[in-house]
Amino acid sequence: MERFIAGLVKDFESGKVDRREFCQTVALAAVVYGAGEAASAQETRGFKMIGINHISYSCPDYAKARDFYTSVLGMESTTGKDSGKRANLMFGPEPGKGGSFIVARTAATDAKPSRAVVDHVCYTIADWDEQKVRGALKAKGLEVGGREGSLHVFDPFGYYVQIASAAGENAFKR
Amino acid sequence: MEGFVAHTLNEFEQGKISRRKLIETLTFAATAYATGSAGAAEGLKATLVNHISYTCPNFRQAADWYSKVFNLDQIGARDKDVALPFGKKGDQPYNVAAKDVPLTHLIIRTRDLNPPPAAGEAPRPKVQAVVDHVAYTVADFDREKAKADLKSLGVENVRDGGLYSLHMTDPFGYDVQISGFANNALTDG
Repeated sequence: MERFIAGLVKDFESGKVDRREFCQTVALAAVVYGAGEAASAQETRGFKMIGINHISYSCPDYAKARDFYTSVLGMESTTGKDSGKRANLMFGPEPGKGGSFIVARTAATDAKPSRAVVDHVCYTIADWDEQKVRGALKAKGLEVGGREGSLHVFDPFGYYVQIASAAGENAFKR
Repeated sequence: MEGFVAHTLNEFEQGKISRRKLIETLTFAATAYATGSAGAAEGLKATLVNHISYTCPNFRQAADWYSKVFNLDQIGARDKDVALPFGKKGDQPYNVAAKDVPLTHLIIRTRDLNPPPAAGEAPRPKVQAVVDHVAYTVADFDREKAKADLKSLGVENVRDGGLYSLHMTDPFGYDVQISGFANNALTDG
């Protein structure tokens, strides 16, 4: 910008542009520059994602969901947060340090007029051992479907639950 | 083990599982228990959300919205879906020590939610549950600043949620929540 203005001043001084042209050109340059700054600012707006905070899961009986997710996926029901109508089921890093949780609620499931749906959630199991994972699911009496590195079951309310390894489901290996 | 057997038997008695299923399940559990395969008998442990599968009428429109609001790249686009990982290739998920845990990502799709069962597969059970919203943790969350930022991005229906978060509506009317670390399993609810 500075170099452009300097050139314009030189042109003005040498008589190549008159006062009117000079003023109009500088004004136009300022507008263009401002638009560029705004566009640049626009690109850097938005948030920096850390991870999933929680998943709000509504069903006819939260206790069944609580028991399923704690039993099958090793989640922990937060002490003092089971109200008899909902429970927080923790997993991953510690709460407040990037951990996630499912809020399992007993609530109507048809109240939201959204045109979108979260049709399933997939969980990563670290230190994946296919045989062990399949065995653990079958030992809970679940029908297990899927392929190598990515298995699925249905929870007590028919919700599709996927369980995968880093190799089985990875955004960078699609 | 005893509790598991009692639970399974209870399901059989209530007609929820067949006799064959009862036998299979108890045989497997007993075998696993006897051979010391504690993992099989005790269950697994979810380490992190791998992905959220989000289906809507126009995946490109939704993906652009999530990219804009959360600064997420779109990768691996296909005819009917695209992935939005929560970081760059090679990044480690926040506060996860295990090296075999990939970044969480969104898969945003447009597809039939009630497809016919694949060959050899049983029909899907009727779904009686719904994920009515998803909440995301974002860095340096300041509610008032976030509110202003969201409005400047053209995000609709921005409103307070509890003490520590904001809710908003995505282009397809889906409820999206954001917060910092203050909203967690110990403080929510």
